[in-house]
Amino acid sequence: MLNERHFRYIIILAVCGLIIGTWGMGARLLYGHKYMDYGSFVPWGLWVAFDLFFLGLTAGAYIVTVLVYGFRVKLFAALGPLSVFALLVTLLCEGIIISLDLGHPLRIYRFLLTPNFGSMLFWLVAFIVAMWAIYLPTFYLLLREQLVVWSRDEKRPGQKFFRFLVGGRTAYGEEDRARDHRRVRVLSYISMPIGLLFFGMHGALFAILLNRPLWNGAMTPFLFIMAALLSGGALITFLTYLFHPRDDLVQPLGRIVLGLLATFLFLEALQFFVGYQSQVPNFVTSLNLIAFGPFWWAFWILHLLIGSAIPMYILITQPRNTRAVAWACFLVLITFFAVRLNYLIPDLAVYKLEGLQNTFYSHRLRTDYVPNINEWLVSIWVLSLGLLTFFLGMRWLPVEAAGIEEEEHV
Amino acid sequence: MALAAKELPQEDALVRMQRDLKRALQKKPQDIKWGMVIDIAKCIGCHACTIACVAENKLPPGVVYRVVLEEEVGHYPAVSRRFVPRPCLHCQNPPCTKACPVTATWKTAQGVVIVDYNRCIGCRYCLVACPYSARTSDFAEWYTGGTPDLGGKLVGRKAAANGYEAHPAAEYGQKWPERDHDSPVGNARKCHFCLHRLKVGMLPACTTTCIGRATIFGDRSDPQSLVYEMIGSPRVFRLKEELGTLPAVYYLK
Repeated sequence: MLNERHFRYIIILAVCGLIIGTWGMGARLLYGHKYMDYGSFVPWGLWVAFDLFFLGLTAGAYIVTVLVYGFRVKLFAALGPLSVFALLVTLLCEGIIISLDLGHPLRIYRFLLTPNFGSMLFWLVAFIVAMWAIYLPTFYLLLREQLVVWSRDEKRPGQKFFRFLVGGRTAYGEEDRARDHRRVRVLSYISMPIGLLFFGMHGALFAILLNRPLWNGAMTPFLFIMAALLSGGALITFLTYLFHPRDDLVQPLGRIVLGLLATFLFLEALQFFVGYQSQVPNFVTSLNLIAFGPFWWAFWILHLLIGSAIPMYILITQPRNTRAVAWACFLVLITFFAVRLNYLIPDLAVYKLEGLQNTFYSHRLRTDYVPNINEWLVSIWVLSLGLLTFFLGMRWLPVEAAGIEEEEHV
Repeated sequence: MALAAKELPQEDALVRMQRDLKRALQKKPQDIKWGMVIDIAKCIGCHACTIACVAENKLPPGVVYRVVLEEEVGHYPAVSRRFVPRPCLHCQNPPCTKACPVTATWKTAQGVVIVDYNRCIGCRYCLVACPYSARTSDFAEWYTGGTPDLGGKLVGRKAAANGYEAHPAAEYGQKWPERDHDSPVGNARKCHFCLHRLKVGMLPACTTTCIGRATIFGDRSDPQSLVYEMIGSPRVFRLKEELGTLPAVYYLK
C-alpha cells in the first residue's frame, strides 16, 4: 500500500538515480560506446538485457487488458488503466535503453526506408511500434472520461493541459463511454495476436541463430513468452498491491504468478536437461557458465533462491496473505533481471572458433564481459526515469480514478 | 616469354593470381565470383596477413578483419600446431545479411558480403549472427588514445593521429570522414576482400603479404584460375560446413 511517505521516498530515489546516472549518460552521449565494456565477441551487454527485461514487463498489462477487455473478466477491470500505463512506461524505458545501445541511433528511420522483412529484429521493432499503436490510444480512451472531469476542475493544476488533451470537450456522457469502451475492446482483440507475436518475437530473435546452441531451438520463443508473462504478471501484482490493495485482486493474481513461475522453472529445467544430455560442447559450456561460472550466484542465489524458491514458498503457503503475495511477486520481479542477463551473456561468452582468444589482443575481442560503471549508471538513469514517469504519472494523470467502477463499463 | 616461364620449376603463385585477376577484371562484373583458398599446410602463423589488413584498412583497436587462429592438435608426443587464418568467409548463404534489420549488409553479385557504412545503425545483430565471429564493431578507439597531447604539428597525440589513423582508409573505394566524426565509427565492420584494391587490379592485402603463398585469391568461376584449381583439391574443406553457410573461403588440409 502506497502512502504519501512512500511516494516521497520513491520520488527522491528516482531523482537521485537520475542525478547519479547523468554521469553515465554524459559518457554515452559525448563519447558514444568508447567507455562501455561490451565488445565484438560479446556485442550485447547490460543494456540489451535491460531491453529484454523491460519488454517482458509489458506482458503483465497484456494479460490484464486481454482478460478485462478481450474476455470481459470484470474482476480485474479496476487494473485496466493502471496496467496500460505501466506498459507504456516500460515500453518508453525499453525504447530509450535500446536506442542508447545502437551505434547510430539517429539512423532509426532506416527501418522505414530500407527495411529487411527477413530480419527478426525488423519484426521485433515493427511489433514494438504496433504495441505503441495499440496501447497509447487504449490508454487515452480509458482515461478520457476522467480527463474531461479534470479539465472542468478550475482549481486543478494543469487544467489547461487536460483541456488540451481532451480537445476542449466539456461533456462526456453514457454514449461516449460506451463508444470508447467499444474501441478499447477492438484494440484489445487486435492486441491478442500482436502481443503473442511480440513476446514470441523476442525469443525468435535468438532462436533462429544456428551458431548459438543455447538459444537456437523452437522452444526459445515459448520460453520468452512465459518469461514475459511471469515477470509482467509479477509487476502488475505488485502494482495492484500498491494502488488497489484489494484481497480479491492481489490474491488471484498471485495464483496466476505461481502457475507461471512453476511453468517457467519447468521449461528452464528442460533447457538444462536437453543441453546436458545433448553434450554439444558449446551448449554445455554455456550452461556451465550459467550454473558454475563466475556469476553462479546470479543463477543460484538471485534467480533460484530469492526469485523462485522463496516466492514459491510464500505463494503456496500464504495465498491469502495479500501483503505476502505482493512481496513474493516483488522478489520475482526484481530478480528477473538476473534471468535475462544470465540468458543473454553465457552464449555470447563462448568463443565460436577454437583459438580465437589468442589471435588478436583487444579488450573488445574477449568474452569475459562484466558491465562497467558507465553501463550501470546509464541503466540506473533509465530505470529512474521510468520510476519517476510512472509515479508522477499516477499522481498527475487520472489513472487511479479511471479504474474506479471500471467493472461496470467492461 | 612463354618458354622462360616453362623453364622455371614453378611459377610464383602471386604472378599467376595477378594474371588471373587481370583476366577476371575483363569479364562483366556480375560474371565474377571472388573466392579464396587458404592452404593450412603452408601457413606458418606469421600473422603478416593480419597486420597487412590492419594497415591497409587502417583498422582501429579492437577491429580486425583477418585473424590467424592457432590450434594445437593431438596429444604429447604426437602433437602438432596448425594455423588457420580466418577472414570473413563471404558465405553464399550468409546468416549476417539476413539478420540486418535495415538491409545495410548484403552479398554482391560477385559473392562478396559487404556493409553499407552509411546505412548501418550499429545494432550489432550481425555480429551475434555470424558463426565465425568475423565481424567486429568500431567502438571509436584510437591507437594514439593514450599518447600525451602537445601543441604543434610534429609531436603529441593529434600530430601522431593526423599522420595515420585520423584519416580512414578508402574502404569500398569511398572517402570516409575524419575519424570520430561519423561512420565507420559505430558500425559493424568486416573483411571485404579489399574491393578497393581489386577495382584497380591489385590483389587483397592479405594475399600479397602471405610469405608462404598460403592464401590464394581469384575468380572461382574461372576454370583457368589458380583458385578454381585449388578448390578442386581433395584436401579442400570449409569451416563449420554443417551450418550450411556455404563459405566462399575454402581451406586445404
